[in-house]
Amino acid sequence: MIRRSVDAVVVGGGSAGLAAALQLRESGASVAIVERDPFLGGILLQCIHSGFGLHTFKEDLTGPEYAERFVAPALKAGIEIYLDATVVEIGEEPHGRAVTALSRSLGVVRLDARAVVLAMGCRERNRGNIAIAGTRPAGVFTAGLAQRLVNIEGCIPGRKVVIIGSGDIGLIMARRLTLVGCSVLAVVEIQSYPSGSARNIAQCLSDYSIPLYLGHVVTRIEGRDRVEAVQVAPLAEGRADTEKGFRILCDTVLLSVGLIPENELSRAAGVPINEGTAGPWVDANLMTGAPGIFACGNVLHVHDLVDFVTEESRRCADRVSAYLSGGPATPMYGVTPGANVRYVVPNSCAPGRENVFFLRPLVVKNDAQLTVRMDGQVVRSRRLPHIQPSEMIRLSLEPGALPAAASGEKHVVEVALQ
Amino acid sequence: MSTPAPDTEKTAQLVCIACPMACRLTVTQASTGDITVTGNRCPRGDAYGREEVLAPKRIVTAVVPTGSPDFPCAPVRTDAPVPKEDIPRLLRELYGRTCPLPVRQGKVLIEDFSGARVIVTRTLPPDDVSPVGET
Repeated sequence: MIRRSVDAVVVGGGSAGLAAALQLRESGASVAIVERDPFLGGILLQCIHSGFGLHTFKEDLTGPEYAERFVAPALKAGIEIYLDATVVEIGEEPHGRAVTALSRSLGVVRLDARAVVLAMGCRERNRGNIAIAGTRPAGVFTAGLAQRLVNIEGCIPGRKVVIIGSGDIGLIMARRLTLVGCSVLAVVEIQSYPSGSARNIAQCLSDYSIPLYLGHVVTRIEGRDRVEAVQVAPLAEGRADTEKGFRILCDTVLLSVGLIPENELSRAAGVPINEGTAGPWVDANLMTGAPGIFACGNVLHVHDLVDFVTEESRRCADRVSAYLSGGPATPMYGVTPGANVRYVVPNSCAPGRENVFFLRPLVVKNDAQLTVRMDGQVVRSRRLPHIQPSEMIRLSLEPGALPAAASGEKHVVEVALQ
Repeated sequence: MSTPAPDTEKTAQLVCIACPMACRLTVTQASTGDITVTGNRCPRGDAYGREEVLAPKRIVTAVVPTGSPDFPCAPVRTDAPVPKEDIPRLLRELYGRTCPLPVRQGKVLIEDFSGARVIVTRTLPPDDVSPVGET
């Protein structure tokens, strides 16, 4: 058994964990990263396409390139790195937190820390989450699994592919599978608008003339040993209109039907979860409801862009540093989603400093109005040319944008879209 | 949604793919050959709109077999966009190659393909992590 003591333990060595750990280390804290894969980088490593880093580095990078921008400095920064090590418990101790991990090479690793950063990322929703009728043949994959097979393992999952859901990973895989010689016959989306970005619809589907069926559902998967076909039907008044249905012969089905923050560890550590995001509830310091446990990246809420993960994780690290140096408590106001907003992160704000929020709309709209109210009074209003649920909105309020309040007063800030 | 490039006076509605803003572009090509782009929020959109109706180009990414059981695939990219019509030829060329390990990110695999270089995007095997001392 290894037993160590550090200022902060970061759980997860993907984009969020790497950015947070580096920033914490630069502020002088002693930091450990615990990563369950045998190398750092997380899901970025299987995202071999470009489009990463336009905000962070003003460059168009692939996933592995973006990851190495953080991995190389992390290896030199004096961060303790535990690979092939799975965190099994985050416990509470009088001095702070005790993180227990299991590793094939090191056995039990116990890390005592004053702060813990949750950076475990998210998981893909699967067939069970969307309940598609039919048989249980081989050939049904989540899009991210197929991405790993093609880009890391060098296996092609099938030949004739139907993709259910139009999330970004599904769109990226539609192009990727086309480029390795598969026929992608259809992308079937239940909603009337795509769940992936407009840019990915253009460069992954339109470029290769892959049909996108909006407002359609897969009603059945057929096949005994291997997928043989799917049945597709348009939606009419919220129900599948099987009269107008059709059948697509295929041997492979990919699911790109959303991501869920991975919070088993957080829950077990007593971290309260926010229903809107399926990630932890966090205050203006990105600290969860469990003192000393912070969260950033896709474990907190699912981001569209890794650049926003990096930004959020660095901000989280700055707040952890402030927590470690033990300054006075920050006065905070509650933050709540208003009309047409699915969620706002974080769930509170600090009036004395800059506040950055990420929010996700519930609707598709041109010429929308973003309004921030404090106790019913408008404090900020901004026009947005186009909003849609698949595009996260970043809102920044400069220091002083929210009126200061006497200590002990309760205030609520609401963010709404019209 | 992109539409095919017009060869006479025509208007195309495109989604700019230069960055995640995904500006909705209107590209008008007059019979004189003059092209105007509207709807872009930055100069990259103007450049993309023009290029897309004249000679569309894309960054290409792929994986090349390494022959190593631990890391069977080396991810690669073009360091500049290449003409769309050349993509199948590039892929055939890449799929016929191997990229022996070890390899460092940035290694040039093809010096010149339609004006672009093909480079490896991941260091394989990854750099070693220094072992943690037991206490």
